[in-house]
Amino acid sequence: MDDRFDLLWPNLPTRRNPQGQLIFLPRAMMALHQRGIAVEPSDLILTTSSASEQARDQVLLRVDSITKQYADQAVLTEVSFDIQAGEILGIIGPNGAGKTTLLEAVAGILPIDKGNVRWRGKPLPSSRRREAIFFLPDGVRPYQEQSVTRVLSFFAGVYRRSINETANAIELTGLTPVLRKRVHSLSKGYSRRLMLTLGLLTPHPLLLMDEPFDGFDLRQTREIVNLLRAEAVKGRTFVLAIHQLADAELVCDRFILLADGRVRGIGRLDDLRAQIGISDGSLEDVFLAFT
Amino acid sequence: MFFLRSPETFRVQNAPLRPLLVKELREILSGRALWTMLLLICPLIGYSFFQAVSLYGEASTEGLQSPVLASSLSPLDGVLVPTFGSFYVAVTLLFPFVAIRVLGQEKESGALRLLVQLPYRSPTLITAKLAAVLAAWVLSSIPALSALVMWKMVGGHLSAPETLNLLFGHLLYGLLVGAIALFAASVSESSATAAIVTLAFTIGSWVLDFTVAGQPGLLAWIARLSLTQVLRAFEQGLFSTGLVVAIGATIFGFAALANVWLPPGVQLRDKVIRSITWVLVTALALGLTTQVKLTFDVTEDRRNSFPATDQHLLASLAQPLVVTVNLAPEDPRYADLQRSVLAKLERAMPRVSIRLASGRQSLASMAGDDRYGEVEYTYGTRSDVSRSTSPREILPMLYGLAGVSAPAPAAGRDYPGYPLVAGRQVALSWFFVGLPLCIALAWWRSRRLPQPIAARS
Repeated sequence: MDDRFDLLWPNLPTRRNPQGQLIFLPRAMMALHQRGIAVEPSDLILTTSSASEQARDQVLLRVDSITKQYADQAVLTEVSFDIQAGEILGIIGPNGAGKTTLLEAVAGILPIDKGNVRWRGKPLPSSRRREAIFFLPDGVRPYQEQSVTRVLSFFAGVYRRSINETANAIELTGLTPVLRKRVHSLSKGYSRRLMLTLGLLTPHPLLLMDEPFDGFDLRQTREIVNLLRAEAVKGRTFVLAIHQLADAELVCDRFILLADGRVRGIGRLDDLRAQIGISDGSLEDVFLAFT
Repeated sequence: MFFLRSPETFRVQNAPLRPLLVKELREILSGRALWTMLLLICPLIGYSFFQAVSLYGEASTEGLQSPVLASSLSPLDGVLVPTFGSFYVAVTLLFPFVAIRVLGQEKESGALRLLVQLPYRSPTLITAKLAAVLAAWVLSSIPALSALVMWKMVGGHLSAPETLNLLFGHLLYGLLVGAIALFAASVSESSATAAIVTLAFTIGSWVLDFTVAGQPGLLAWIARLSLTQVLRAFEQGLFSTGLVVAIGATIFGFAALANVWLPPGVQLRDKVIRSITWVLVTALALGLTTQVKLTFDVTEDRRNSFPATDQHLLASLAQPLVVTVNLAPEDPRYADLQRSVLAKLERAMPRVSIRLASGRQSLASMAGDDRYGEVEYTYGTRSDVSRSTSPREILPMLYGLAGVSAPAPAAGRDYPGYPLVAGRQVALSWFFVGLPLCIALAWWRSRRLPQPIAARS
């Protein structure tokens, strides 16, 4: 695989790590995208820079015993997990498992009954979560009477993004064809792309995304997966709530298996397989075994 | 492009305000509510203006023959108040829908969940939304302002202090309705519910006016909570500092409540506790504003004041004046006495206290009292009784109690009045055709889409 990359793109900035693996630096990832090249997730593992590898060993966010109850119905029960810097963490579960509630609770936009969140070891109260975390909710079409350009300009202005930075984000997410359209007239897929672009314009190290692939076809999903991978390589961390297990398997480094508001399993796919004693099997098989 | 930055560099203090304000303004302009309201206001104000100018013209026909009749013709009463009266109706019934949109739209679309994550404090968000409400009110007032321009163009007289005072009163009323709408939108899940809550305040005030105004006792106190009280003083040509501060405190109170209910990540119990705190703080502030007595009569004819020489002399009477009124509050004589004497005395003298002799008993329960109708004036240790409601009788009596001579009438220019018989057909053309076309054109221009963002080479 290393040879294939060297052969196809000999001028890309790369170097080898002490184990002899080829490492694509972030700039290389951008070059791949600019050439319109989709990169397989398995290939991208090799693109992690050493800095990002080190970052992954650090716990960026620790969620401890989050509990949320509506009337007499428990939606989340003692949910605890860590998020490593630079990883893509998937929260996997069926509809009604509590994925959205968990993301909203972590983002600080939903009051919780119990539990806390720590950022790099320090308590992060809900009022300050927005300094570190940005949550992209599912099903939101913000400012529907405005054009896509105006919505993007608003976010770019708030976070002091230059025109070039904004234009690059638009190019990465493929929003260019709909820039003059009003938000209410966007298709579901372009609405997702708009939300993703807004997320990219934010400076937050941790992005929480609720059902980011809903409304995308296979090719589009692959494009977005590559984009998220590229961002993760640069050091940004993602937590994705996904109910489509095939998509999750494609993009996520680790998984939290959530059912009925409880964590049923946490780890890489291989770790999860090991826990249930199977050597291979899809995420779907693993999830069914855990739940 | 490298997106990652340290979170410490994105504290809420660092966010620029301009994008937020521009966004709020665009949201207001992009909605149909504002433009629909503007289009509805045009004929409403136009017809009121047309009617007011017609009636003023009829009265002026006689006034032009007689200086005495002319002196009773004031554009404030004859044209401005009726014209702005229809604007008041529009603000009461339609403006809540415009103001609610400032927050309700974001709540319904889910954009609020993005907004509260942006690096702005909650009070900053509410202030920006209140600024958008203010901008919406300014745009909504264009038809009413154009009526002023039209009045001036046909040769009408406008007194700057009383006109600006009336405009300021309507501005405060608009902001108050807007603040209530913001609060309603922050506590309601849908814009429809928010509209019901807001209209409960605005139309509820009318109900208060119609049902309990003029009633004795507790009902009289409740009637004073009506929002329509906000405009009354301004329409009479009074700038009451206490009233302005009270309205400001109420606007602030509703904005503070909206601020409490805006963030979705706060427990309901905490929101309720904070709300109660703000209600108490606002009530305390309103209580304190009752002690602010400073009031200015801004009318050109000085209708809310005694003659200038009397004003000066009354202001120099330092001892307390106690007025004991043996009248029921709903008695028309009490209203007459209040308007022509007591209110003016309160504004002119430094220490005046007025009390109803029988508390707040009704007219029926006081009918058998022989002293009913008497008003006792006590200045220092001396007192006198009168049944008159005319300052011509009461002021000399007061000067006698104070042991001072009545001042000589000052030689000066009396209020001449401004009779005018003006052509009014052009007003109908403007308000029913010209202005609606201008508004439709502005609406169309506001819907134009911007150029896409393109990277610089």
